[in-house]
Amino acid sequence: MKRRTVVKGALAGTGMLAAPAYLRAQSAKKLSVLTWNIADQAELFKVEFGEFKAAHPGVEIEWLDKKGPDLPAFYQTQIVAGTPPDIVDIQGALWVEYAANGGLVDLTPYLQKEPDVAKRFNPDYLNGWVYKGKTYLLPFYVAKTLLYCNKTMFKEAGLAGPPQSFDELIGFSDKMAKGEKTGFLTLNFDWLYWPLFKMNGVELLSPDGKKAAFNTQATAELLARFAKSTASGGINKIAWTGRWVEPNGAFASGTVGMLHAHSASYFFVKGQGPWINADTLGAAQLPGFWSTPTNHGFAISKGSKNPDLAWEFIKFMTSDKSASAFFKTRSVLTANVAADKEGLASLQKTEPLAAAVLQTQIEHTDKLTGNWPLPYDAGLKDAFWPEIQNAVLGRKEPKQALADAERAVNRLLARKA
Amino acid sequence: MNRYPRWPIHLALVVVSGVMLVPFYWVLKTSVSGENIYAYPPSIVPARIHPFFYVDVWYAIPFARYLMNSVVVSAIAVAGNVVFNAMAGYALTHGFRGKGFVVLLFLTCMMVPFQATIIPAYLITGRLGLLDSWLGLALPQCSTIICIFVFKASFDAVPRSLIDAARIDGLSEWRIIWHVMMPLSKSAIATNVILAFIWSWNNFLWPLIMTRTADMQTLPLGLARFLSYQEDTTGALYAFCIMVLAPGLLLFLMAQKEFMRGLTSGAVKG
Amino acid sequence: MAGVWRVRRQRTRLALLLWCFLAPSLAIFLLYRVIPVIWNLVLSFQYWSPLKPAEPAGLDHYEDLLYDDVFWQALWNTLIVIASAPIGIVLALVLALLVNAEIRGRDAYRTIIFTSYPLMTVAVAIIWRWMFDERVGLLNYAARSLHLIDTPIPFLNSFTWALPCVIVANIWQMLGFYMIILLTGLQNIPHELHEAAAIDGASAAGRFRRITLPLLRPSIFLAFVIGMLNSVTSFDLVYVMTGGGPGRATEILVTYIYKLGFNQTKFDDAAAVTVVFFVLLVATTWGANRFAGGEAGAAETE
Repeated sequence: MKRRTVVKGALAGTGMLAAPAYLRAQSAKKLSVLTWNIADQAELFKVEFGEFKAAHPGVEIEWLDKKGPDLPAFYQTQIVAGTPPDIVDIQGALWVEYAANGGLVDLTPYLQKEPDVAKRFNPDYLNGWVYKGKTYLLPFYVAKTLLYCNKTMFKEAGLAGPPQSFDELIGFSDKMAKGEKTGFLTLNFDWLYWPLFKMNGVELLSPDGKKAAFNTQATAELLARFAKSTASGGINKIAWTGRWVEPNGAFASGTVGMLHAHSASYFFVKGQGPWINADTLGAAQLPGFWSTPTNHGFAISKGSKNPDLAWEFIKFMTSDKSASAFFKTRSVLTANVAADKEGLASLQKTEPLAAAVLQTQIEHTDKLTGNWPLPYDAGLKDAFWPEIQNAVLGRKEPKQALADAERAVNRLLARKA
Repeated sequence: MNRYPRWPIHLALVVVSGVMLVPFYWVLKTSVSGENIYAYPPSIVPARIHPFFYVDVWYAIPFARYLMNSVVVSAIAVAGNVVFNAMAGYALTHGFRGKGFVVLLFLTCMMVPFQATIIPAYLITGRLGLLDSWLGLALPQCSTIICIFVFKASFDAVPRSLIDAARIDGLSEWRIIWHVMMPLSKSAIATNVILAFIWSWNNFLWPLIMTRTADMQTLPLGLARFLSYQEDTTGALYAFCIMVLAPGLLLFLMAQKEFMRGLTSGAVKG
Repeated sequence: MAGVWRVRRQRTRLALLLWCFLAPSLAIFLLYRVIPVIWNLVLSFQYWSPLKPAEPAGLDHYEDLLYDDVFWQALWNTLIVIASAPIGIVLALVLALLVNAEIRGRDAYRTIIFTSYPLMTVAVAIIWRWMFDERVGLLNYAARSLHLIDTPIPFLNSFTWALPCVIVANIWQMLGFYMIILLTGLQNIPHELHEAAAIDGASAAGRFRRITLPLLRPSIFLAFVIGMLNSVTSFDLVYVMTGGGPGRATEILVTYIYKLGFNQTKFDDAAAVTVVFFVLLVATTWGANRFAGGEAGAAETE
């Protein structure tokens, strides 16, 4: 008797616990949006989503936000399960893998129908999201690399202004290196270091993208120079081994002369380094004006059930009004020309140093590099970068390292052919 | 009994305790003072102490909701573990055809790393209709092989005479488990409870993949909120870690008494 | 005659009942371990990506692994991590023996040593990453304050130190856990055995070797297997502490599997690595089982 009631109770309990938290019944239209680690914008998004819902009655918006390393795992699982979020905010080159696998909706037809949308954006940034002639993302927010200068250290070393050439870059670094102080640091994730190579004429791949093209005498000499400067302290070792916190933290401690990073670093460094103000920090372009972008864009998943509505949504989120509001709350460039102009103007009055940093982001956008629309970008990084590390840290001879890297890259490209 | 000096033991244990506690001290210190751990030189004693980070954590995320989710999920996992593992452990104390195969299967199942099972596990849970639910979150953790063997070892130590007497008295196998074995296996139960709780409480990747609605998220997922965009490790982050840690630790403190009691009674029964 | 039939029926009934007891656990493992392994196995012989149909690939993925430097590095690192599991266990055994002694406050010691285990691995990774930090880390600060070194040691940025540092963090987290397992085993050894041996004139060391160790074998085996499994699957720890770097110095198979699958969308390659990893773990456990005397080290005490 007792056992039966226990069993019945257990079954009832199981049933209750198994019920999903949200109603299975589909509302008229539901959009799910997956963003990349911007949970701090909850206030702004609540307002903006409200506006969108007012303009499109009957629509529900589900907002998901995942931190960078978690987002791909979550997104891919959802794709396999057939329930991908309609809109996804993607950082860097990950979008190409999804696009190449047919996971994203081609936005070109939409843009052709509404040419005004494309005109909103800085064309150089927008073109960063073209794969095989098709556009897949609209810009959400963008950043590219620049050169931060520790003016105090420059003065101590008797240097006038930012370096104007690669030789000066190395020379200044070596001059500023003394004891615990080093001259130069760069971030190295996602090809952010590539402008240093590009400015010296190094090409990664042949024009048809089928073979490695970097194994040249010139590159070997370049690596040798890096190695020499790293060994003597001109270039801080963390440039080659650090991720995000170490290089930015090192610069924030005030012991590094120059930091080659993107605009997001400014806010982190400023938080960590109380010495930073307009007199002590300078923002400049790298000599030669090359830079690598780290961008976020909105894409529509192929599995979306409401692609047209999703298009309306990303159009709305990147409109002048929304982009402007986003710029103001996050102090980041949106690639929406009007919003950026307005945002910079107002930032100039409140925080001129931040404005100077962001100003570099809209200059020289024709010289973007390190942003190849290749679906095997991650594999390419894995084949190339470790060997470069070996060379500049003095663990391998540059020629050997380049040969090994070339072999690895060619093998990767051959497999993809 | 043996006369041996106690103080070297105390010394060694104090040193070890120190080593174990130093990182903790730092987590605790930062959580109440909010000092930047990237400041140099590191300060041993915090300058200003205030509990506001704990308050921050409570309001920054829907803490109460996440806490409830975590409690429910862990409760299910612990209950499942105790019941299912005891049953399986008991079965393994008998010899039967295919026992070797089952033991081998269990051992091999331990060798499967979770990261490699994410997608199939998600698809299966979807098929079962358990996505975004408490049961779905708890199910993969409702039985663990290690704990099965803990029960088995404990049951093995119960003298045959007791079991035979129970059988003669007409008790069914099921009742033998609950009325004979379990009362004598308090330490195994305590171990099961502690471990099952800790594993399900701290589980991060599975709830991350499994839950869509914010309402169903468990406590560790709130962590992402504090690992901000710029990886600023702040007092709030450490306060959060302490708050997540507290229940597991409390449970251990409580269950460890049972652990001790169960052991002394076991020695007496001889 | 009827008695024999009754006994046989009872035995079959018993066997059936035992399988019913095993059923819930078996079902969970079937769903969440066995089927995923099979999924990985099948996938490792196909070309597949989430939105495309699968095509047969034969042994292509395994062949790719042979030429994949990262795979070999990760494999090597994983082997090192496996080999480091005994260190933690030996330390834990010493601690268990100490805590098992008749001293006051051993409850407190036991609790303190165990505190590290319930802490979220992500938190452990963050705090240890800070402790090893070259510029502001506690270890460098302490060493320099004590004038042990002049220049800071770049623990996590060094190709030689990074993996040992991760292992240290892992041992720190797991020490209490191993200790509890070994302690349970120690306390299951009847006092009478020790007393009898002491009366017979056996030394403490002799008693340890002849009585304690053999009876502790199942616990040691259990601790080793758990320790090995935990350290090689400590994805969170490696990912947050070093991300696999510098270079690939701390890349272990499980982080490589994750990166292949979710960063490079190459689930089929990840499946091949998973299969290799699985075989490696099974082989290691089997080897440890043999070493511990078979039957999961369970000594026949009857």
